Amino acid sequence: MRDDRAQVLKQIRAALQTAHLPAARAIVPPRVNVEQGSRAEMPTNFQRELEAVGGACYMASHPADAIATTLKLLRETDNQEILTWDDAALPVDGLGQALRANGYARKIVDVPTEGAARQAKLAELERAGAGITGALAGLVDTGSVVLVTQPRQARLISLLPSLHIALLPASRLYATMATFFAAHPDVTQRGSNLVFITGPSRTADIELTLTRGVHGPKYIHVLLLTWC
Amino acid sequence: MTIPVPNVTFHERVDAALRDPILHTALDRSMSRFSALRRAALAAFADESATRARARLIRAHTLSRLDAYLEQFEANVQRAGGQVHFAADAAALNRIVGEIARAHRVKTVVKGKSMVSEETALNDALEAEGIRVVETDLGEYIVQLAGEHPSHIIAPAFHKTKEQVGQLFHEKINLPLTDDPAVMTAAARAKLRWEFLNADMGISGVNFGVAETGSICLVENEGNGRLTTTVPRVHVAVMGIERLVPNLDDLAVMLQVLARSATGQKLSVYTNLITGPRKNDEGDGPAELHIILLDNGRSRVLGGEVAEILYCIRCGACLNACPVYREIGGHAYGSVYSGPVGAVLTPALEGIAQWSALPQASTLCGMCKQVCPVQIDIPRMLLVERAQATHAGKMAWWLRLGLHLYAFTATKPALYRLAAGGARIGSRMLGAPQQGWIKKLPPPLNAWTKTRDFPAFAQKSFRAQWEAHRARQDAERAGDSHA
Repeated sequence: MRDDRAQVLKQIRAALQTAHLPAARAIVPPRVNVEQGSRAEMPTNFQRELEAVGGACYMASHPADAIATTLKLLRETDNQEILTWDDAALPVDGLGQALRANGYARKIVDVPTEGAARQAKLAELERAGAGITGALAGLVDTGSVVLVTQPRQARLISLLPSLHIALLPASRLYATMATFFAAHPDVTQRGSNLVFITGPSRTADIELTLTRGVHGPKYIHVLLLTWC
Repeated sequence: MTIPVPNVTFHERVDAALRDPILHTALDRSMSRFSALRRAALAAFADESATRARARLIRAHTLSRLDAYLEQFEANVQRAGGQVHFAADAAALNRIVGEIARAHRVKTVVKGKSMVSEETALNDALEAEGIRVVETDLGEYIVQLAGEHPSHIIAPAFHKTKEQVGQLFHEKINLPLTDDPAVMTAAARAKLRWEFLNADMGISGVNFGVAETGSICLVENEGNGRLTTTVPRVHVAVMGIERLVPNLDDLAVMLQVLARSATGQKLSVYTNLITGPRKNDEGDGPAELHIILLDNGRSRVLGGEVAEILYCIRCGACLNACPVYREIGGHAYGSVYSGPVGAVLTPALEGIAQWSALPQASTLCGMCKQVCPVQIDIPRMLLVERAQATHAGKMAWWLRLGLHLYAFTATKPALYRLAAGGARIGSRMLGAPQQGWIKKLPPPLNAWTKTRDFPAFAQKSFRAQWEAHRARQDAERAGDSHA
């Protein structure tokens, strides 16, 4: 394998001596005028884009509002087992308490890397009916929710259940992926997985006929928290 | 040899494809949807040409410094705790994956879509070691159940009608017969969910590697990519060495053109950036991440006349736009990569000698270049490879003879006139052409009409028309001067 590395790099360097690469330049000039857009219109534009890809978006102007909407959405599934972020990390104060008061059993996503405990944990998580997360950001031009893996903010929460509810502070909206990266240059170092989620899981592999909810959630509901 | 050379000729495969009514139903249904999706996406894309030009710049620049970006990428993957392997050829890649699998006593592998693994026939290699491989992309799952290979870069089961898939699911996974894609999709979800939770290793492809951060970017719509790279203990990602971008801003540009060109979406449902394995305090994710960089001829292509084909980001737009692909589908090409990009890439990677027919599978209409999100000049490279095939002595004897005869005749005006007259009379003797085309010529000229029609000769030759025109003009001029 070491040999392959040396051999491949050597061949590339030799090839670059003669390579004919149309349009190649020594540098790619930095972009100018990266558009940020109007902040005031961001929530409605985000909502429009998310709905265009089959997601649902609700404006919540107060924590009590967000809690009521979340509980209402959870009733779409009659499953009392759910996966959520830590109370401390959820951007809606009192949500954890409300979930407990309404009888929801929250499963901790902490999957052992080996052994029988691992299979038992995965089987338990698979049964959950909904996943509730916060979000690092939202992208207005595509209606995407941005999540990065953190302790007690695992990947499977937004992946295994068929219903995903994301709580997104409106102040975390960015016009585009480029403006998001510009504001978070070190984002890839924060967790092992950064994901831009744009609508519910879908496929078009049978005659290009759109079908929702293949391997990931069939429903994604985003609560835009307009007070924060 | 990594891509097996099929045992029937290209023309035989094309003939079979053209005579397959079910294939045509599948192609016709899907193609019209594809075109509509793409048109809608591009209409909503204000900066289309500027963004495509920038995407091209990024690809060209990256390849011009590929050695440096590979080393930077490798160092940053390692810094994040991942392991990097270089594979000079297909056998090396398969061997490395096999070693990782053995070290972890892997029995079952779940796989996300990866054209590189098709290129190296990785599934066969793993199965030979007794490892079960389960494809998890719905399209890949369908072709795996059918014992086939993908016919389209982004829609692997493009060649199948829903009725065929319903029949297949009925036979293989006991689903009551249905032609409803939603029912079939739900059945596949249930089957594959179990596989994800019980697999020992996940294998995925890679859309882009980011040199500056050591991240790999995977783009997908179903969620099978996220599950493949999250649930199993070990994640192995396989990618071509050319698939890098320098930084995150460049990645954002590439993602903008990729999703729109591939599926008409502004962004795919799941755009994943994976940087290293699970960190200690994280609740899930694989304990190990291996990234395998495959050369398999790419570094040779980089130094040659068709290096530009390495700009390709595998969106599949040129397949959908190609009038040849639209008629024959992906399998008739006989190669892993089909369509215009495959017609250039396959001979470049594997040698023109075995694949000399592929660059001929084009009308040179230029649609592939027009739709390409990085503006790759595919027609130019098809001509380069046709010339290479000729120099390699791959031109058919009858074509060579014909061209020599033509050159001999065309340089001698009297002989040319005689021959053209003879051909015109001769073609009339073959009977009435069908809408201006002759379907069948007598031997030895039938070598041509076996695979294409021949245009019928005009009633009057160009020379005769020209002489008549001149005579008319002379007469008019003579008339003018008398007035």
